[in-house]
Amino acid sequence: MSPVANTRQLIVTVIVAAALAACSPETNERAQVGVPPDTQESAAPNLNGVWQALGAPGWNLEGHTASKTPVTGVLGAFGGIPAGMSVVEGGEIPYLPEALPQRDVNRADWTNLDPAAKCYIPGIPRLTYMPFPLQILQTDSKIFIAYEFGGNSRVIHMDRPGTEAPLPSWMGYSLGHWEGDTLVVDVTSQMAETWFDASGNYHSGSLHVEERYTPVGENHIQYEATITDPEVFSRPWTISLPLYRRLEPNARILEYKCVEFAEDLLYDHLRRGYDGPRDLDGTVRIDPESAAPDL
Amino acid sequence: MNRIAKFPVALAISLGAVLLWQSAFAADPETVPMKPWGKPSLQGNWDFRTVTPFQRPAAFADREFLSAEEVAEYEAAVRDARAAREAQEFDGEHDQGDLDAGYNSFYLDQGTTMTTTMRTSQLIYPPDGRMPAMTERGRETAAHFRALQARSPHGPEDRNLFDRCILGFNAGPPMRSGAYNNFITLVQTEDYIVIQTEMVNDHRIIPTNGGEALPDNMRLWKGDSRGEWDGDTFVVTTSNFTHLSRFSGTGENMVLTERFTRLDENRLEYEYTVDDPEMYEDRFTAVVEMQLTDADLFEYACHEANYAMPLMLSGARKQEAAGIEDDTWLPSWSR
Repeated sequence: MSPVANTRQLIVTVIVAAALAACSPETNERAQVGVPPDTQESAAPNLNGVWQALGAPGWNLEGHTASKTPVTGVLGAFGGIPAGMSVVEGGEIPYLPEALPQRDVNRADWTNLDPAAKCYIPGIPRLTYMPFPLQILQTDSKIFIAYEFGGNSRVIHMDRPGTEAPLPSWMGYSLGHWEGDTLVVDVTSQMAETWFDASGNYHSGSLHVEERYTPVGENHIQYEATITDPEVFSRPWTISLPLYRRLEPNARILEYKCVEFAEDLLYDHLRRGYDGPRDLDGTVRIDPESAAPDL
Repeated sequence: MNRIAKFPVALAISLGAVLLWQSAFAADPETVPMKPWGKPSLQGNWDFRTVTPFQRPAAFADREFLSAEEVAEYEAAVRDARAAREAQEFDGEHDQGDLDAGYNSFYLDQGTTMTTTMRTSQLIYPPDGRMPAMTERGRETAAHFRALQARSPHGPEDRNLFDRCILGFNAGPPMRSGAYNNFITLVQTEDYIVIQTEMVNDHRIIPTNGGEALPDNMRLWKGDSRGEWDGDTFVVTTSNFTHLSRFSGTGENMVLTERFTRLDENRLEYEYTVDDPEMYEDRFTAVVEMQLTDADLFEYACHEANYAMPLMLSGARKQEAAGIEDDTWLPSWSR
């Protein structure tokens, strides 16, 4: 029976009793008479807060030097990819030989192929180390992580071990449990379309991610993500990097609704009067004839 | 019995009925789960589908509540109307009722029941259950956006924020039952309550200590929400909207006040007041009771599958190339 039907049944069956109960002044003391919580939400380590990764793993998980991008012609010194050391244990991602060429294809046409550049949901683990903050809201039964990039989020279910997602999704299905002071999260059922970074590192629909969040002091979390995908990699491999607490008193997640920025990438050629990609000063960058929209 | 003698009896019966009515729907504190820090738990998945009309229909003028029999009749009428619409045949030329709304019935999930308090409308202020009049500025602004969305779109910015997957048509703020995705998840810590909306896969993180207001120049699509407890009611004030974040014609200076009160184990009262004197002559207030549900939210990846946007823009460019001027681009539901 639905709650609504329950409520209506209540009207018929216990209306007088309810009337008497409502007349009792004690019923306003909800804090004293409500259902007490099952457990105290303080036993587990407290991961609440606004956190952010540093460095350049969002650009490339493996070690890389600084490089140009297609927008250095527009943004100048702001348009380069910053250098970074590898956050992959052992240094390199262990691709199967037959899977590596796809990474190179992705990398060669990165700006057109990277799903996150189109503002598609980046998935896990990528959202963790993009250059945007995230916020953890922790309860015993659910842990909510909000990501500034794209306004994305996920719920980690702490209260339903052994369950499965009804269908794949961009953010996947997250089941968590505590191992000592470490929050361990199994992420399954992610879409095959997400990447690990902006350098073409990719996976298949068989991806399984095990995340480990271990507090190291008050203001750091050591984040690890072990990637298992036998269709693309020769063995499981692990990303390891610290998350830093944002200590500003007014630190918060703001909006980065990336749709409005991705629209230029996705739909510019369908704008009225389109005659080619433009620089910031409004001038057309390439021959309009070669950029005619394909309708 | 003479007329004078009847009066106190009738009055007593009326008062008794009101008392019983209020009692039946009064908060049932003993079933409200509590958080360890002494506040009601609002956490859970909540369903705000309802067939209760937003504005009071003329047939219910001057009446705030229906009887249980009238509710049953109304709900049956809604079901019958849907069945009739589904049975309509598309004749190849004329709009099929269910297709003209942008979706056929399969995709609609609007609920089948009225709110548990049996109100005649979600709007409870103004007292007539109808939207207040718009100001001249409000009417001019509405006309501007209507014209923009009626024309063949020059680019994605011509379309509304719902078409662009930037906001959801029922995700607000405030949330108002719409065509589908009428679900939210609330996760509650002592310091924050997050509202995750199924529609366009979005969320608001609301501090419970009043927070720190953003400066006036920082405008957010969903506004800046700050919360405080008023007894056992969580009150959220939201301001700093963008001029495009329009809720029924509001503007960037709208101040939204939402009140969340857990009535009992299964019900969450959600009341909101919209105050925007620039666009409306008066404020307006609506209330619904959300229902606790075991159902999870789906990931509504709107932008990722927004095939409509490139198709609309392609269509517009084809019309241009063919020299066709077309001002019929308003969504069918807003005509």
